Amino acid sequence: MLQTSSNSAAQSAMPYHEFYRDNFEPRNHYRPMWEHIRRTGQNELAEKAHEAHLAMHTDGVTFTVYGDHEEGIERVWPFDLIPRVIPASEWSQLEAGLKQRVRALNMFLKDIYHGQRVIKDGVVPAELVYEGKDFRREIRDIDPPHDIYTHISGVDLIRNVDGRYLVLEDNLRTPSGVSYMIENRIVERRILPEFFAQYRVRRVEHYPALLLQALRHLSPRGKDQAEIVVLTPGIYNSAYFEHTFLAKEMGVELAEGRDMVTKNNVVYLKTTHGLRRVDVIYRRIDDDFLDPLCFRSESVLGVAGIINAWRAGNVAIVNAPGAGIADDKAVYAYVPDIIRYYLGENSILQNVPTYQMSNAEDRAFVLDNMEKMVVKAVAESGGYGMLMGPSSSPSQRAEFARHITRDPRNYIAQPVIPLSRHVCYLDGELESRHLDLRPFIIYGEDIEVVPGGLTRVALTKGSLVVNSSQGGGSKDTWVLAE
Amino acid sequence: MLSRIADSMYWMARSLERVDNTARLLDINLLYLLEAEDALAEPAQWQPLLGIFRSEDNYAEIHGDADIRRDRVIRFMTQEKKNPGSLYSSLRVARENARVVRDRISFEMWEAMNEFWLEVDRHLKRPLRAEKAPEFFGYVRNQVARFHGLTMNTMMRGEPFSFYMLGNFLERADMTSRTLDVKYHMLLPDASMIGSPVDYYQWGALLKSLSAFDAFRRQYHAGLRPIDVVEFVILEPEFPRSLRFGVGRMEQAVQRIGTNRVECEICQAMVALKKQLEERTALSIFDYGLHEYLTDFLEHIDAFNNALQSDYFEAYLAADVECAT
Repeated sequence: MLQTSSNSAAQSAMPYHEFYRDNFEPRNHYRPMWEHIRRTGQNELAEKAHEAHLAMHTDGVTFTVYGDHEEGIERVWPFDLIPRVIPASEWSQLEAGLKQRVRALNMFLKDIYHGQRVIKDGVVPAELVYEGKDFRREIRDIDPPHDIYTHISGVDLIRNVDGRYLVLEDNLRTPSGVSYMIENRIVERRILPEFFAQYRVRRVEHYPALLLQALRHLSPRGKDQAEIVVLTPGIYNSAYFEHTFLAKEMGVELAEGRDMVTKNNVVYLKTTHGLRRVDVIYRRIDDDFLDPLCFRSESVLGVAGIINAWRAGNVAIVNAPGAGIADDKAVYAYVPDIIRYYLGENSILQNVPTYQMSNAEDRAFVLDNMEKMVVKAVAESGGYGMLMGPSSSPSQRAEFARHITRDPRNYIAQPVIPLSRHVCYLDGELESRHLDLRPFIIYGEDIEVVPGGLTRVALTKGSLVVNSSQGGGSKDTWVLAE
Repeated sequence: MLSRIADSMYWMARSLERVDNTARLLDINLLYLLEAEDALAEPAQWQPLLGIFRSEDNYAEIHGDADIRRDRVIRFMTQEKKNPGSLYSSLRVARENARVVRDRISFEMWEAMNEFWLEVDRHLKRPLRAEKAPEFFGYVRNQVARFHGLTMNTMMRGEPFSFYMLGNFLERADMTSRTLDVKYHMLLPDASMIGSPVDYYQWGALLKSLSAFDAFRRQYHAGLRPIDVVEFVILEPEFPRSLRFGVGRMEQAVQRIGTNRVECEICQAMVALKKQLEERTALSIFDYGLHEYLTDFLEHIDAFNNALQSDYFEAYLAADVECAT
């Protein structure tokens, strides 16, 4: 389906600036901060930036970059001093839009794993679902506790040239970054308490407490007997810091696949005193690796028999297996239709226009205009499997053109949206850089959005790639109280 | 607690204790040989060290011959990556296990271990020269002491701590017995001498390698008699490197961890180990034969280690029913 293609005027217009108006005056909600920065002076800011880096270093806030080394390289989390501020009115729109989206996507998931009305009614093409890498036939007709599939989502938002928020990706599998949202706040508060004095900033540090309640809510033995574990692939995973962080904050066990065993469709932890029953697994490994009996048989990261235990209702898995089909980048284009279909509402948050490569007309257009497009593999994330048209070489474009022609269902394309910019303190200068926003949504007894999120910054001048694996940094994100 | 985490706590502590003992033995041997009046040939001076670590075969294999030379032995025991018992290898194992249990140990412990490893890794990139070795071993012993100190002062006394104690004291008892066995064999071929004062320096070196020299001299004033040394190193309840002291700490740890087994291997292994020390005197040990006694003791240590494996680290294999905690 070809949605409205972006007009060329918008593409050449200046990206939206979060901090300044067009006349380089700070926007109202940045004025107190701007005054403060001017009074503070260069030397003190440089000192603060250094302190912030040290704080991240000694607290061991790191992420791992996969490279030539088998074990990956541990890096200190890059953090920019100047916080991003979101006024209350802006946030309430975002919050409503995110809740609407997550509610509809859960109804969509329940539907496609049961009666598939959405396909029969012609809203979403059957082949799009069936050919999706993350559609799991194995889990059809299973009823997860309370019909929740996406307990945790991290939806990526960007702003177009008019400052309008658009959804770039719905991350519904194992979105990461929430620990950095919290660490950013802790460090910002320690380093720049005087910034806070001039604003009423909403708190974010209760996220793990919210998450714990949502997980307890799913326990087959009732919430007072809930044995909860965070399932990690292990110390070499890029997000291992976050896995440790969440387990520690919630006070639950951090386990690897080999720490668990299933017997008679019940999952147990291997402890020094024998087996201990597990009720809820917050897994941070992909579906493919979850259960060697059900999915990839060579996986050593998962637990054999876990899917059967889940099917039998003896354990809850978070997010539910198969949820990834709802954030497939080809399904993404249909989310506005999905919202309308299940909720009878117009979507509050808009999508980025998306070209389906399985559609001949879209495909021809994209292949002719690749240097203006972002091409993405539908089931990849983290900035992998992506072509940034404007900065690509002819040979890279040719390579992606081959991929698209060979396997059209596996690719989509979007016009390049010039992400909004913000002031950053870099090497002694205030400079503007592009950024996005990932708020975190928890679906427990109710749907809740923690007021804040992870703001990721493309630290390289002019770059639109914000992923930390590819030179991205981050900012503390302030949602203001009324 | 998770079996995997318990296993890692245990091996972190064991490997670190091994690092400490390796540094101690090499250090004392070097120091002693500086002034040795007896013209022992180089191989005879260094062979016993390989014996203590049971590394003779590995040494010969790595070097292509069994020719024992000082610098080779030092390098083999300190920095040889192909020697799983080298100081370097042991510290790497300790640090890897610390990374696994990072959320169970204090931040200070993790930081100390990490710094220690990074510094040793950097330092041993080049061959360790014999004249520089004592300084390095001193650093190593200080770092291990720092880590133990931080453990005592910052770590919760829960199950993970008990597994730490088990690893620490089991390895220490193991090394003390082996050191005594090899040294004794070398220093006192004639059993009739057990009640007479023997070579002050050689036996002094043995006691020094166990940090026991001063304490020993305060307690015994009849010169260095083998019978007193054996009594002190094996049976002295207040000396923190004696076998009796170590086994006592292991027993405390096992009691704190507890077990819900009906057929408890660890309980049996504990009883057998204690029996080696109860109602014993140095004289009865010599009557039985010190070497035979220590061989028995080491077998009981091995059995205890195996019992830990089956009762705790692989407890799930035997578990048909789930337990409450």
